[in-house]
Amino acid sequence: MVKENPGKDSFTRNLVIAVVVGVVLIMLVPTILSKQTNSSAKIPANVSADRGYGVVFNGDVKDVPVVDIYEDFQCPICMQFEKLNGQYIESLITEKKATVVYHTLSFLGPESINAANAGACSADEGKFLNFHRTLYANQQAENSGAWSNDVLVVLGQTAGIASKNFTSCVKNLAYKDWVSNVAAAGAKANVNSTPTVFVNGKELDRNTEYFSADKFKAAIERG
Amino acid sequence: MKKYLGWFGLIARLVLGGVLLAAGLLKYQHLDKSQMAVRAYELLPISIANFLGIILPFVEIAVGILLIIGAATKVSAVLSGILMIAFIIGISQAWARGLSIDCGCFGGGGQVEPGTANYLPELLRDGGLALLAIYLFRYPQSKFGLDRNPSDGEQNNG
Repeated sequence: MVKENPGKDSFTRNLVIAVVVGVVLIMLVPTILSKQTNSSAKIPANVSADRGYGVVFNGDVKDVPVVDIYEDFQCPICMQFEKLNGQYIESLITEKKATVVYHTLSFLGPESINAANAGACSADEGKFLNFHRTLYANQQAENSGAWSNDVLVVLGQTAGIASKNFTSCVKNLAYKDWVSNVAAAGAKANVNSTPTVFVNGKELDRNTEYFSADKFKAAIERG
Repeated sequence: MKKYLGWFGLIARLVLGGVLLAAGLLKYQHLDKSQMAVRAYELLPISIANFLGIILPFVEIAVGILLIIGAATKVSAVLSGILMIAFIIGISQAWARGLSIDCGCFGGGGQVEPGTANYLPELLRDGGLALLAIYLFRYPQSKFGLDRNPSDGEQNNG
């Protein structure tokens, strides 16, 4: 009697400990693997793995500053940043005055992943900038259902994309692996906030240069 | 006095374990953000910070569950004590260096607007939890746990 009880108790206790630790480890391993860069992932048009899997404009223009923009389509501050500086950045692209790399991060949840994936699909259609503008113009509360893939297809039409490929690309999350590669590259680049802008590899001053159109312009021209 | 120790141990286990489990689950859903939170402390090399950002929620969940069910209380208490002391060091150094970050304790994290960081309540909370962890290390026996009571243990081992 006296001998049975402690044996039983320790067995249950050890089993419970083993199960808890075991289950957590089993969940941890695939998570770590999924955070590694998947070099075989399909990548959209204009994307360069060497540039952190960002969507690149004017990649071949020489002697111009390189502007890396890390953003999340769902982030409200990115929307304000876009409102203030978006047009200027697009003018840099059309006038070939800078190499601009858009890194679409997705740390705000599932609809950020949807949006980043749809952004990649729009790059394939050559309409990334239009789509980018359209998304920010229609930004709603985070993960409120506003950016389901069905809605993103409609927003694509608003941005002038009317192709069946785009529709299936958005709905099938065709660039899901690429989206996590962008996130992993952003983590490696030590991006701790969105938006984050690097000009020639140097981060802008968060206190002054993001939300003053003049200072932002000056920072880009300084190079 | 002694007969209340078990009840106090139970409360300590549930509070400490509950906080850890909640923190772990909230972070588990946004691991990118969790990595960002660890990086923002600017304390560790980036690759190690990123690794820790993934591991940490899992450790918190495991230790939280073990504390709540009262299995391996002593080891869990040591682990959670180490976690709390690490958090206190991280937050203190961020405060001392004038960083503006969200502690990322329950999800969130990363840089915040300068001047909006609020470190004192976080330090007080983690300090209180560290005291609970030390208490459980010293007096691991508690009500409704899976660990054997030391008094039973003596009898059985003898």
